[in-house]
Amino acid sequence: MSKEFKYIGKSVPRVDAVGKVTGQTRFITDEYLDRMIYAYPFYSDIPFGKITAIDISPAASQPGFLGVLSASDIPGQNQVGVIIEDQPLFADPLVRFIGDSIGIVVAETESAARQAARLVNIQYEEFNPIFSINDSKAATGNFIHDSNVACQHQVDKGDINTGFAAADQIIEADFKTQFQEHYYLEPQGCIAIPEENGGITIHGSIQCIYYVQKAVARVLGIPQSVVKVIQTPIGGAFGGKEDIPSELCARAALAAVKFNRPVKMVYNRRDDVQLTSKRHPFQIHFKVGVSNAGKLLAAHIRLEENSGAYATLSTVVSYRSSIHAMGPYVIPNIKVRSTAYYTNLPTTGAFRGFGSPQATFGHERMMDIIADHLGIDPVELRLKNVLRPGDLTQTAQKLEVSVGAEETITSVRDRSSWNSLRQNNQNDRRYLTGIGIAASHYGNCLGAAGWALDGAGVKIQIRRDGSVGLAYGLADMGQGALTVITQMAADALGINSQRISVLAPNTDLVPDSGPGVASRNVVMTGNAIRDAAAKLEPILKTAAAEMLGTDAESIKIENDLIFVDDVKKSDFNILADYLFVGNSQMDMLGWWHVPALEYDPVKGIGEAYFTYSYATHVAKVRVDRLTGLVFVDKIWAAHDIGKAINPAGLEGQVEGGTTQGIGWALTEQFKFDRGRVLTDNLSTYLLPTIADVGEVETILVENPEPLGPWGAKGIGEPAIIPTAAAIANAVSHAIGVQMNEIPLTPEKVLDAIEGRTH
Amino acid sequence: MLYVENVETFDLSVTINGMEIKRTVPTHLRLLDFLRDDLRLTGAKEVCGEGECGACTVIMDGETVNSCLILAVEAHGTNIQTIEGVTPAEGLTDLQQAFIDKHSVQCGYCIPGMILSAEQVQCDCENPDRETVKQGLAGNICRCTGYKKILDAVEKDGE
Repeated sequence: MSKEFKYIGKSVPRVDAVGKVTGQTRFITDEYLDRMIYAYPFYSDIPFGKITAIDISPAASQPGFLGVLSASDIPGQNQVGVIIEDQPLFADPLVRFIGDSIGIVVAETESAARQAARLVNIQYEEFNPIFSINDSKAATGNFIHDSNVACQHQVDKGDINTGFAAADQIIEADFKTQFQEHYYLEPQGCIAIPEENGGITIHGSIQCIYYVQKAVARVLGIPQSVVKVIQTPIGGAFGGKEDIPSELCARAALAAVKFNRPVKMVYNRRDDVQLTSKRHPFQIHFKVGVSNAGKLLAAHIRLEENSGAYATLSTVVSYRSSIHAMGPYVIPNIKVRSTAYYTNLPTTGAFRGFGSPQATFGHERMMDIIADHLGIDPVELRLKNVLRPGDLTQTAQKLEVSVGAEETITSVRDRSSWNSLRQNNQNDRRYLTGIGIAASHYGNCLGAAGWALDGAGVKIQIRRDGSVGLAYGLADMGQGALTVITQMAADALGINSQRISVLAPNTDLVPDSGPGVASRNVVMTGNAIRDAAAKLEPILKTAAAEMLGTDAESIKIENDLIFVDDVKKSDFNILADYLFVGNSQMDMLGWWHVPALEYDPVKGIGEAYFTYSYATHVAKVRVDRLTGLVFVDKIWAAHDIGKAINPAGLEGQVEGGTTQGIGWALTEQFKFDRGRVLTDNLSTYLLPTIADVGEVETILVENPEPLGPWGAKGIGEPAIIPTAAAIANAVSHAIGVQMNEIPLTPEKVLDAIEGRTH
Repeated sequence: MLYVENVETFDLSVTINGMEIKRTVPTHLRLLDFLRDDLRLTGAKEVCGEGECGACTVIMDGETVNSCLILAVEAHGTNIQTIEGVTPAEGLTDLQQAFIDKHSVQCGYCIPGMILSAEQVQCDCENPDRETVKQGLAGNICRCTGYKKILDAVEKDGE
């Protein structure tokens, strides 16, 4: 692993940066096609009920109106549920949240479509809506679906009763986390273009092109092979463009077929917030048995999630949170129940971390409460229990290599001068200061529950002029995938990175590579690149040997040059042309899938994920005694990512993820009025601005993963996972009150300082 | 572009990126829509549509404005620069280059607005310190980067 590469491990600039700094990058919102028309959804404005009548006449009298499409216009199946099939494309006849789409209006202009959609008049028979997890659990009838439980996952290892019996102390606590809106800056959008063969082409801001292909084919009742989905540059997603684009694209596709014209659909911001998914709110109960020396002996953990009106990705969130419930620690006896409940709120689904940030908020707050009970320093308590090579996880999976959890803890401890800051606060008359730590782990890729989708490909094609096209199937939503893919491919092929163009993900170019989620891009695409390069290597070397009159073993391709026995003899351009005129195959499909995982889903025991990324954050905060405002002065963020392919890009992930974590911990708060989002834009939903953020120091822990490409593991999601817990721990330290619910709004903090309870 | 009938219109004359533009526009048309839909200057983006995010920033008579909050008719007789006009015919501005060198760009949707605000900060103050940069960019939301690398780029072009 110590080999020096030309690109891998270097902070090379982004390959797509010039278009972005000049405004030339064309996002889906920037596309205008000839004869293009516009579609816009109309949706339920009650949280729960049954449609009794739809009157489109006020909309139909608008200038530019072309038509309305609803459930009865669907030629295929009215179903877009991504895992559980509980979600119609158009509500019929039940509506389950404010924002449940009932149909679309199609019009000549965008403003006409939006205006007309507001004029469609729906009559309902209203039912009693359910908004909270507790009300959903308690309901005995009038369920939102067949039952109010969307899904459940569990872990049962050892015997918690024996563990509790052996414990010196048993400590219980409850925690709560709130909704979070992705607030990707580019809204949801797509364009559907009808094709002569009865098929359709979709362009859009889409994380998962193969999900869209499946959904569109299903709704239109046509084969997947005639549905082509092409990803446009994505202006931020964070999970919010995993499943939602399937809805938009299927609706636009219906209109495109009906009117035989290109159809564009872009949500305005308020609708984007009301209609699309969010981060699941959790309520969490912990009961933990520990020895006086600080060893974890038993844990009983209950995680409950507000799924909103449909399951969408609740199964993933529920699975992942159950696996990560006790964090990166050794725990011999554990029982976890993680359950998602339907409510009549907007759906909650994929959001950076898939339930891990919530689970981490629970276990890391709990670790601090335990430390407080036992009078042990929080860092020491974590080090007594942290997973090390050879240990078993909470699902009894033996960890062998690339287990950097301990090093992430010790490195943030040292870099933050933890001991002195923890013991010597710098309180003054105005501010209370505090420092808090949170450790986490994150199973890479889809894990045992999603293993069937966990393969991915790339297609590498060498052109006669020596340029190289690389097609992949996942997504660059801003994180820099295009750049790291270019770096990996250039080093794998021994060529200059400028030869390589990474093509827009397109369902026609690469076989179904699963979703562009779960921090799986570098691992999956990187390994597929290695496979493709390994398949191309004998072709290139044989041709070079033939061209240079030698044998393939003596050929080396490096730095764009062809060497024979380490002597430079030719270059890649000449070789590419030689390949072409020799009628050689010049492309290869590379493929990689996650190794088979042995896992018992009933007990929640076994290999839950093939490897884990580890992260520990320390937050240093100041709390204003007078206003309750919390300032995060600094975060130290240590990440075991196996190997950093592009260190500066990786730092950018950590800085951005951490900042999203600060928002979730402090200011991002959802308010509803009977299911209607009141905080539906930036004046009421407060994102961190440049004036709000303190310093972030990234510490890279490189503990190579043998199954990762060049040792790499995922970073996108780990970046956000421990931040909020670290901040809550720091605030708790500063004010001397355990703060178990986020966001830590000034009201909540001030009440805690002044001894008022909620 | 197809307009709804019977709307009030205005004969607009405005200089955009050094070029004088004359168009008849509906009086309710926002400057942002005029730039994007009519002129296809799509560097300015609509994100919040209510003046909070700064993604639609353009420079109007030497001041940054949110083009979603300004009617096209209000731009009558003014001089407007968009990201397309700030970008040199060849190459990049020092600031654009600094955004690349300092890894300040992720998804890119906020970046045109961010760069125009940053150009304005540097125009108003030759050697802005970190606090000045923060004040100047506080109206531009980025959801990806956490801002650190943006600050690095704008503080004296990343020097």
